[in-house]
Amino acid sequence: MNVLKTASLLAVIALFVAALHPAALAQGVDSQMLLHPPADSWPSYHGDYSGRRHSALAQITPQNVKNLTLAWAFQTDQRAEIKSSPLLVDGILYFTVPDNIWAVDARSGHQIWHYNNPKDKGDHIGHRGVAMYKGYLFFLSPDAHLISLNSKDATVLWDITVADVAKGYWTTMAPLVVGNHVIVGVSGDLDNLPGYIRSIDPETGATQWQWNATPPAGTPKQATGGMTWMTGTYDPDLNLVYWGTGNPTPVLNGKTRPGDNLYTCAIVALNPDTGKLEWAFQVSPHDTHDWDAVQIPVLVDGDFHGEPKKMLMQASRNGYFVVLDRTNGKNLLTTAYGPLNWSLGVDKDGRPIPNPAKEPAPDGRLIAPDEGGLTNYRSPSFDTKNGLFIVDAHPSWSIYFAKPADGAYGWAGADYDVWGKGVIEAIDYQTGKIRWSHELGPRGSGAGVLTTDSGLTFTGDAMGNFLGLDSSDGKTLWHAGSGSRTQSSPITYELDGRQFVLTSSGGVMFAWTLPEGL
Amino acid sequence: MKSLGLVLRWRVLLILLLIGLAVSTAQTPTPSVPTQRAVKKSGTVARKSYPPALVQSGATLFRRDCSFCHGRDAGGGETGPDLTRSKLVTADVGGNKIGAVVRTGRPEKGMPRFDYSDQQIASLIAFIHTQKNNAPTKKGGRKGVDVADLQTGNVEAGKQYFEGAGGCASCHSPTGDLAGIASRYQGLELEEQMLYPKHAKSKVTVTPGSGETITGTLDYLDEFTVGLIDATGAYRSWRTRDVQYKVDPSLNAHVDLFDKYTDADIHNLMAYLQTLR
Repeated sequence: MNVLKTASLLAVIALFVAALHPAALAQGVDSQMLLHPPADSWPSYHGDYSGRRHSALAQITPQNVKNLTLAWAFQTDQRAEIKSSPLLVDGILYFTVPDNIWAVDARSGHQIWHYNNPKDKGDHIGHRGVAMYKGYLFFLSPDAHLISLNSKDATVLWDITVADVAKGYWTTMAPLVVGNHVIVGVSGDLDNLPGYIRSIDPETGATQWQWNATPPAGTPKQATGGMTWMTGTYDPDLNLVYWGTGNPTPVLNGKTRPGDNLYTCAIVALNPDTGKLEWAFQVSPHDTHDWDAVQIPVLVDGDFHGEPKKMLMQASRNGYFVVLDRTNGKNLLTTAYGPLNWSLGVDKDGRPIPNPAKEPAPDGRLIAPDEGGLTNYRSPSFDTKNGLFIVDAHPSWSIYFAKPADGAYGWAGADYDVWGKGVIEAIDYQTGKIRWSHELGPRGSGAGVLTTDSGLTFTGDAMGNFLGLDSSDGKTLWHAGSGSRTQSSPITYELDGRQFVLTSSGGVMFAWTLPEGL
Repeated sequence: MKSLGLVLRWRVLLILLLIGLAVSTAQTPTPSVPTQRAVKKSGTVARKSYPPALVQSGATLFRRDCSFCHGRDAGGGETGPDLTRSKLVTADVGGNKIGAVVRTGRPEKGMPRFDYSDQQIASLIAFIHTQKNNAPTKKGGRKGVDVADLQTGNVEAGKQYFEGAGGCASCHSPTGDLAGIASRYQGLELEEQMLYPKHAKSKVTVTPGSGETITGTLDYLDEFTVGLIDATGAYRSWRTRDVQYKVDPSLNAHVDLFDKYTDADIHNLMAYLQTLR
């Protein structure tokens, strides 16, 4: 056999092997993977750009889910709870708690590497995960640095500052990669600081653009705030990034910041190449209850009362479910999805009208929902099969106080939870009606929601059970006690022909799959 | 059982603290306890100061791990109470109370535990006590809720609401279970108890497929398991699919009122309850 023949044969074999094992030759995440995530990946926080957290995988079904078994569990051995959504790229999972990243073999659950970079400064309240572009991870630290690390061995390529921790900023979110942009948001509502979104060059760490949610601190009669602490979504056809902004500051005292306080508590559409604002829809004008509108802006294409629409849906912390036309930000539906008592209704543009009598007061105001909101940062899911927006809701009541002595800086008041519970709600997106609901227990659950094409909804209850529900009626089909509460949103992927579902509770990551022979 | 014991011990400790310390901690004098002012004054004298370096390292640690819930200045933030007016902090001497809470956490209130070194605990205590000492002279920032803030209601209207529209009298009596309630709880704590008694336990009755009905205090309930503490103090549980069970719905009456109350109803009801000393 001559050399040429041998080389040809080897090339053919190599191509054949590559076709069988696409991951074997992959080099991290590229734009195509983010636009069209393969079944054996979860390459970004939401799994894809839509934020639907819905998978086409259908090996685990309503019929066989009762057989689900533990593939492995990974112990972070940290006090911090896992609040991150893992990435899966080239067979390796990446997930975080503050100051820590783990690279874990998705087949076996064993650690490949552990990056630990303890920071004294910055709020360590939680961490939502990393982003990836080519072979590099992007990790935000509590002291508001963005760090680029080689995904092979966690060596640091660059480390830049995205906000000033000394002023009171910190960072927790998983960046969003769009084209040649790493888009990050910031946290910091304990001080009167403006929130912003910043785009960073993945290769160099240079700032490409910054969009400010609010004017600089000290601007008369203007709110600060509008923190941008959750990962947005992206429509490649419209080339728009959608992002939620947080509450205004001072938080509970609205007197020094009259008016709507744009762009706090809003959903904004930005051009990812320039940072230019295309439109904004304010979900909570003049908020005085800490109700960020950072909940996932979920992108859905479908019928709305007989007309095909490109929609954006958000179950917002303030208790309203909104559906927008995402081409222009015009409102299609605004409806309460649980008890709320702070608004006078909805204006002609679909924006809630805050009731001044329900602003925090010296002798207290009874308010629904509570400060944690009717939902919070964990992901909802849009079940494309049943046309349902499925969300971990938190019907709740609380009392809000503010008095002149509380001042006009930072929190500037006090509030206390009175009562709450958790309920999974399946919302018909065209009417806002609750198609089914599933009680989760007292106080509420911290679990996000994942749905699959086979008709399953994965989430968790208030007591620490992982749940697999029938997406058509919410009935429980599978459960497993986890020993702690879930604070993250599940993901799913297929590897070696097997579908896995990943759920976390406390500091442990669990991988579930159907049994197979040894 | 270990954790239950712990919770019970905490509850007992807390109740003791609440009773024992109400006297020394109220921020606003109320007519019911005439000795408060004097006690507070003597408490003020006993302030301890801490080395600035220790306070600074405590501040750094506090901002890292505690500030989200308790505020950067320990004056309260999202969900966490204002520590500068916390009864437990007031009662703390050199960390003998705070240290345990930090190390054990308060899972029932959503507070995690922290694995701190003794030095870290010492710095945290130095910071919290310093913040507490400085709080009365600090301008702005969160100041919490005073008993005096909760005096805007009308006693007679509250009594009418109690006996009428509120339906309170169907379960409660001012001369029975609520006699002296305003001596046991004051201010914000009384209002929170009134709106929903978070720590109240419900009775539950479980009827197994065979055997006798068991009544006890509900200790655990999810979709799959019901657990109670029976008359002997023992924990017993069943799969929910195997039994009939019924939780006493009395507490739901508090929940049913939430969307009926006006804020004036709440303030009036508070005014009335504060007369039940």
